[in-house]
Amino acid sequence: MKQLVLVPRLTTTILIVLHVTILLAGFLAPYDPAMQNRTSPLLPPIGVHFVDTLGVFHLRPLVRSAGRTPDYPLRFFVSGSTYRFLGLWTFRTHLFGVEEPGRLFLLGTDEFGRDQFSRILWGGQVSLLIGWLATLLALGIGLALGSVAGFFGGWPDAAIMRGAELFLALPWLYLLLAVRAFLPLSLPPHATAMILTVIIGIVGWARPARLVRGIVLSARERDYVSAARGFGASSWHLLRRHCLPETYTVLATQATLLIPQFMLAEVALSFIGLGVGEPAPSWGNLLAPLRQIPILASAWWMMAPAMLVMVTSWCFLSLGDVFVHGET
Amino acid sequence: MFRRYLLRRLVHVIVLFAGISAFSFVLLELAPGDFLGEAKLNPQMSPATLAALREQYGLNKSLGQKYLSWIGSAARGEFGISFAYNLPVSKILRPRVSKTLQLTLSSLLLSWFIAVPLGVWSAAAHNGFVDRAVGVAISALLATPDVVLACLALLMAVRLRAFHSANPVLPVAVLTLGALPILLRHVRAALLDVANQPFAQVARANGISGAGLWFGCLLPAAVNPLTSLFGLSVAGLISSSLLVEVLLGWPGVGPLFVEAIAARDFYLVVDSVMLSALFLSGGTFLADILLYVFDPRIRMEL
Amino acid sequence: MAKHKPHHVVGRVTWNGGMAVALLLCVSIAGNGATGQEEVLTSGAETGIPGGALVVTQRAEPKTLNPVIALDAPSREVIRRMTADLISINRQTQQTEPSLAKSWTVSKDGREFVLELRRGLRFSDGHPMDADDVIFTFQVYLDEKLHSPQRDLLVIGEHPLTVEKLGSYRVRFHLPESYAAAERIFDSLAILPRHLLEGAWRDGKLSEVWSLNTAPASIAGMGPFRLKEYQPGERVVLEKNPYYWKVDRRGNRLPYLDRLEFRFVPADDAQVVHFMSRETDILNRVSFRNFELLHNEERTKDDQLRDVGPGLEYNFLFFNLGPVDSQRFPAIARRQAWFRDTSFRRAISAALDREAIVRLVYGGHATPLWGHVSPGNRLWQNTALPHPPQSLERARQILGAAGFRWNENGRLLDSSGGHVEFSIIVSASSSERLQMATLIQDDLQNLGIRVQVVSLEFRALLDRVLNSKEYEACILGLGGGDVDPNSDMNVWLSTGGSHLWSPGQQKPIAAWEAELDRLERQQMTTLDRHERKLLYDRVQQIAAENLPLICLVSPNVLVAARQDLGNFKPSILDHYTLWNVEQLYWRKPVVAGAGPNKGVKPQ
Repeated sequence: MKQLVLVPRLTTTILIVLHVTILLAGFLAPYDPAMQNRTSPLLPPIGVHFVDTLGVFHLRPLVRSAGRTPDYPLRFFVSGSTYRFLGLWTFRTHLFGVEEPGRLFLLGTDEFGRDQFSRILWGGQVSLLIGWLATLLALGIGLALGSVAGFFGGWPDAAIMRGAELFLALPWLYLLLAVRAFLPLSLPPHATAMILTVIIGIVGWARPARLVRGIVLSARERDYVSAARGFGASSWHLLRRHCLPETYTVLATQATLLIPQFMLAEVALSFIGLGVGEPAPSWGNLLAPLRQIPILASAWWMMAPAMLVMVTSWCFLSLGDVFVHGET
Repeated sequence: MFRRYLLRRLVHVIVLFAGISAFSFVLLELAPGDFLGEAKLNPQMSPATLAALREQYGLNKSLGQKYLSWIGSAARGEFGISFAYNLPVSKILRPRVSKTLQLTLSSLLLSWFIAVPLGVWSAAAHNGFVDRAVGVAISALLATPDVVLACLALLMAVRLRAFHSANPVLPVAVLTLGALPILLRHVRAALLDVANQPFAQVARANGISGAGLWFGCLLPAAVNPLTSLFGLSVAGLISSSLLVEVLLGWPGVGPLFVEAIAARDFYLVVDSVMLSALFLSGGTFLADILLYVFDPRIRMEL
Repeated sequence: MAKHKPHHVVGRVTWNGGMAVALLLCVSIAGNGATGQEEVLTSGAETGIPGGALVVTQRAEPKTLNPVIALDAPSREVIRRMTADLISINRQTQQTEPSLAKSWTVSKDGREFVLELRRGLRFSDGHPMDADDVIFTFQVYLDEKLHSPQRDLLVIGEHPLTVEKLGSYRVRFHLPESYAAAERIFDSLAILPRHLLEGAWRDGKLSEVWSLNTAPASIAGMGPFRLKEYQPGERVVLEKNPYYWKVDRRGNRLPYLDRLEFRFVPADDAQVVHFMSRETDILNRVSFRNFELLHNEERTKDDQLRDVGPGLEYNFLFFNLGPVDSQRFPAIARRQAWFRDTSFRRAISAALDREAIVRLVYGGHATPLWGHVSPGNRLWQNTALPHPPQSLERARQILGAAGFRWNENGRLLDSSGGHVEFSIIVSASSSERLQMATLIQDDLQNLGIRVQVVSLEFRALLDRVLNSKEYEACILGLGGGDVDPNSDMNVWLSTGGSHLWSPGQQKPIAAWEAELDRLERQQMTTLDRHERKLLYDRVQQIAAENLPLICLVSPNVLVAARQDLGNFKPSILDHYTLWNVEQLYWRKPVVAGAGPNKGVKPQ
């Protein structure tokens, strides 16, 4: 029995830890994600050591220095670059850091010498946000249109379902490329991320809509609904009280499928250069340099965001399994 | 009855096509830039020549006029002229489509060939070691972005000195690995659903077990979701391989399409989208027909 | 003595006097006829071994084989190998040399050219070539109904040049005005076969012929190769032209190669993979990371990996300086007050770290630029221009003197107190320019300017810059035409079509623009090279002082070829690697099982 609850517990824990960590990106990241170190491009991870260059053991971890200066001890609760938490409150304290000019690159640097560790944390905010918001949008539209189609039938049903087929039939990449070109100009990177979200979400409403329609349709035929109608309940009331609750499980399962799908869509878009704008990181545009084989072959630390994307996707998908089958 | 149903579906498909073609035209027309944009940048071309070329290619025509001329061209079997190649689009697409189908059909057959037995085994040995191992592999593959998969495959092929450009093995492998997880999941889920039904319990009680049970009784009962799935696989025959073809350099519809969009080669883009849509709706249509043929219950419902 | 098959015209390498005589006999027996009268061009390059095939990759497939209408680069690349021009520009010396015209005389005012054609030459289908073909060719290019892109090359001022036949092998060109370096016009203008195309031209169908589906027998040209087959989406295969009119120093007919194959591989990295797997033999453009990868890879480290030095391409940042509808784009119109201030542009230029671009974006394989003429253009670069290094203090000084100031957060404010911020649009398909934009964004952050980098699809970007003018700043690259100043005149002329920062304007927007116009027009008609150089130096100086284009870098040309490829002489002028394709040869004979296109098969 213990095994049966292990997986959902494990995945939920991982997801919660992930989201909390990423929420605290500003605090946990030692550097500003846009800070460039032009003399240190594509450095492999610089780790912390407990033994310094002279062979002496220290309790406090340190970063080895290359030259004759003493090694840099790791300090905690340092004051560093400013960042905003939830876009509202400004702070300067970071969990850990090293004194200038020492540098702590836990996961190496990218082509501009920017700290990958910090960028992955901040990038997670963008990627997860895109995943969640696009999913909410797709499910919201799908719920609205699907319930209208299922409940009222007739020509709204036909129109909406034909519309859904249209969206399912068009290759989504083409749709995205076409719409992306219309972006207004002076948008900060996060606004482009929002537009991306909206686009991806809008493109994905069709499948949830069909599922919702199916459920609402069968719910509508139930006896208690006819009874309620006989009592004079309005359509809106019927829809809300009796039909919609049936859809919640499906919506939850769809959510666990769509969030990773939309995160992967963001990665694919970044690969062709149409993702979130510089210098804002996202897991997608952190992976984009891997398209070049020399980087893929030699800068292995750049694969780290891929691991995170995979773990997150896997967690969501496993949760979905739980909803669907009621099993592990 | 069936004939009326077929007819209705056919009408649906035609209406859908009209909708898709109109939608494509509108989208492409709205997208900024046109075919001669890059020529305009060339310091050695005069604006007068450009204006004349615009007229010649019909870039100044209104949307309605373009649509009508395309329909006329479609009736002649040409489906529009490509600005870049100066040839009818149908002539350009034909060899590319066969190349793409080479990949996708092979991958379709291969993935179904692997997914069905593996899915059955997984469901039969439910929660056993095989099932869990397969589950982990599925989720890992599902979670990997296609693009990363393709790049990794390329790198591996190069390192192993196994890369040959005309060899379809690499692209087919990548496509199959991409399609397999979803397929496996659904096969397994469908079989598990069926396995819990009363008639299955009866069959087991009657002593039917093992391969006979799974392949003989349960798999046929799961034909409904599986046929829909097959329809979806057929639907993706043109569109699923786009990214893989571009990344691995396979001369199919994918690279042509991407280049045509970038160059705003109007009719070529629209026709590629229509082709893709043709397969997409054709796939679901096929699924419906197959369902009618294979599942007696549907016949009763109709 | 090996048997000579009658249709293989090219001589063999085994040399002694007897063979030389046999060779001449064979050539005449083979039915080429006019050996005695064929006026071949003797190439001065190292002699090589005939045989073998060469495989080259292209990023996209050619769209047509018709020289009259071809617009895109891949088509022109392939066509160029199948055709020949009257006068060529030697890609190594960057000077003109005789091609199909064996000599020419120029009148004193530089407006009349009398060209003497080589006699006894044949097209690739065996049909003789003479002045009628030349006349026909120029008739076609100048035909107003055809709208050939080549026509614009032949229009000087308002009027096209004219050509008349003086004899079977002599033609006279008449230019409407004096035009400097006029003979450079003829480079890459393919001479067309009248016997194959005149009919189509009279029927008005010339633009439809010679598409990719055409049978090879219907296409002929004077180039080293002719069409053999085309596989859609995969490759174009050319075979040796048995009637090619160039020979090497020993009298062997060129080209050495039997087969030239263009393979289409859309992705840069896939091209490198093909090269590493020895499926292709030449890489025409390599990114620096792939270049270093090839240096380190076991299989390719001994191949010819060359950094040819700075090319002609120049990348630059420019602002929207032209008139903008302030009703539709109020923000852009407002910001133009800054962009139009020359001090603002100078300050921006001073704040940019060009060395970082060279180092991080190109791995050192590039040259920083302060003017649009790169050091690769040895003949025309103004070497006296200053090259100030990045200096934030100087930038701040300039901005301060221009009325800008900083607030307590370090943000830059203009004279009315508004934050200085703008967006730079960049093509999504150019990862180098995207990286430049990121570096520039960071540099300008140090000045207190907030910059958004917006990556757009290339056509959408062009539409904004050239049509709707809905942009603030942009990073683009140009160049690669010719070293001669005439080739990018339309960028600098106010009325020019490629006048990027203010396209489609009718008159100059500032005094320096008027001065540039005057200088450009003058250098175009000045025949004395020394005088022209002075004029063009002044053009470069004015451009560098007023900065309509803030030039950034010029990337070096990086190429790769197999170790055994002889006469490989990459240049910075297009086509970097195949410009002398008729001289390329394989040094070593083929080893069994080493692959489909290795070296020579011993006969």
